[in-house]
Amino acid sequence: MSYEKDIERMEEITQKLKSDETPLKEAIALFEEGVTLAKRVEKELNEVERKVEILLKDDEESLVPFDDELD
Amino acid sequence: MNELFKEHIFSVSDLTERLKEVLEGLFRNITVEGELFDFRPASSGHWYFQLHDKEASIQGVMFKSKSWQVPFIPKDGDRVTVTGSVSVYAKRGNYQIICETMKLSGEGDLLALLEARKREFANLGYFDSERKRPLPPYPKKIGVITSPTGAAVRDILQVLKRRNPTIDVVVLPAAVQGVGAAEEIAAQIERANRLKIGDLLIVGRGGGSLEDLMPFSEKVVIEAIIASELVVVSAVGHEIDWALSDYAADLRAPTPSAAAELVAPLLDDILATYRGKIEIMGHLLSRRIDKVKGQMSLFTKERMGEFFRRKLEQAHLRSDDNRREIERTLAEKLRLAKTKRQSLLSQLEVLSPLSVLKRGYSIVTTKEGGAIVSHSDQLSVGQGITLKFAQGGAEALIEEIKDEESE
Repeated sequence: MSYEKDIERMEEITQKLKSDETPLKEAIALFEEGVTLAKRVEKELNEVERKVEILLKDDEESLVPFDDELD
Repeated sequence: MNELFKEHIFSVSDLTERLKEVLEGLFRNITVEGELFDFRPASSGHWYFQLHDKEASIQGVMFKSKSWQVPFIPKDGDRVTVTGSVSVYAKRGNYQIICETMKLSGEGDLLALLEARKREFANLGYFDSERKRPLPPYPKKIGVITSPTGAAVRDILQVLKRRNPTIDVVVLPAAVQGVGAAEEIAAQIERANRLKIGDLLIVGRGGGSLEDLMPFSEKVVIEAIIASELVVVSAVGHEIDWALSDYAADLRAPTPSAAAELVAPLLDDILATYRGKIEIMGHLLSRRIDKVKGQMSLFTKERMGEFFRRKLEQAHLRSDDNRREIERTLAEKLRLAKTKRQSLLSQLEVLSPLSVLKRGYSIVTTKEGGAIVSHSDQLSVGQGITLKFAQGGAEALIEEIKDEESE
């Protein structure tokens, strides 16, 4: 998922909805696409849990969880 | 032994008074450098401390009226340079220095060094505003190069969590002060780029003395920032602190917390953006639908009935017109035909053999074969002929044949 692409697509849809040249049937389909997109993103965003990791100093690749609840 | 005071017996007060005059008169507005030791800030705002070096120590005082102007919180072990005047405290028989100003030693040198470096990097174009790249608007993963045990990393993580708990974080640990720190920071910037560790990097640390912050002004760090393909946010110290990394980075954040604020869009804002766009779309669509409904309303049953009725009426009218036209045309044609027939008939009557007969002529045909006789050589004597008059006819026999000449 990429917000940039999503938002770009939504702008596109908005433009098409503005234009009278878009047939109504297509306009309804576009609107449904936008709603589906927004719902999916909202669902994903609400489900995503962040990962906090630390890159081990001596190892090129090893990411291990980093305790982000330090207080 | 001073000859002047050879025979003189001082009282303690006299002696102390003389010492006070001499010391205070001579050591006025002087500058002293030493290491802070036994620093005791009093609740009154006055500061009491000792300044010492390897060989000696001296009491120091800084009153509240001056101490509040010192731009850092001194601590034991700081090398400081103070200005002030020596003062003798007669009652206790000791002396101290009453300080007017205090600054960290070497800070002047460091500042001069930083200024020189800053000019050098500026001349290389490292700080040009065209170099600055915009922050990625929606980062998914952020690399943080700092001490894993410092306050900075905790602040950043806290703020990121509050603003947008969907953003992943990778901490790239580095010493942030002391020998080798600059190299570690630079190496981690390069490593973050090599591994494409995230969408952007925050490079920073919490507050500290100018010397503590020096690694962030070192050439290796500046060059690593300049070479970084990932967008770099410099977050060094408190608001008043600065380092050259602030100038080289794509963005300077006044503190590590502020860096986190700047890079992470609020999750709620992102959601609101989506919802807002859907709302706009909804409005546009319902407007379209209303418009179509408006256009459709022209086509109601009643309106259509009316429309077709009118069309039908027109069609009827036209068809009536046409019919009338056709009838009229036909009648005319008929009339013409009749006239023509009449005239033809009259002509025919004139031409008709019957009309010739009326004038007294007869038609002669052979009895056998019925051929019309128009020449005498068609005939022979004794042959039967048929005569046709205007009224009636007769049968006859040929008695004699006359040729043309004989007539």
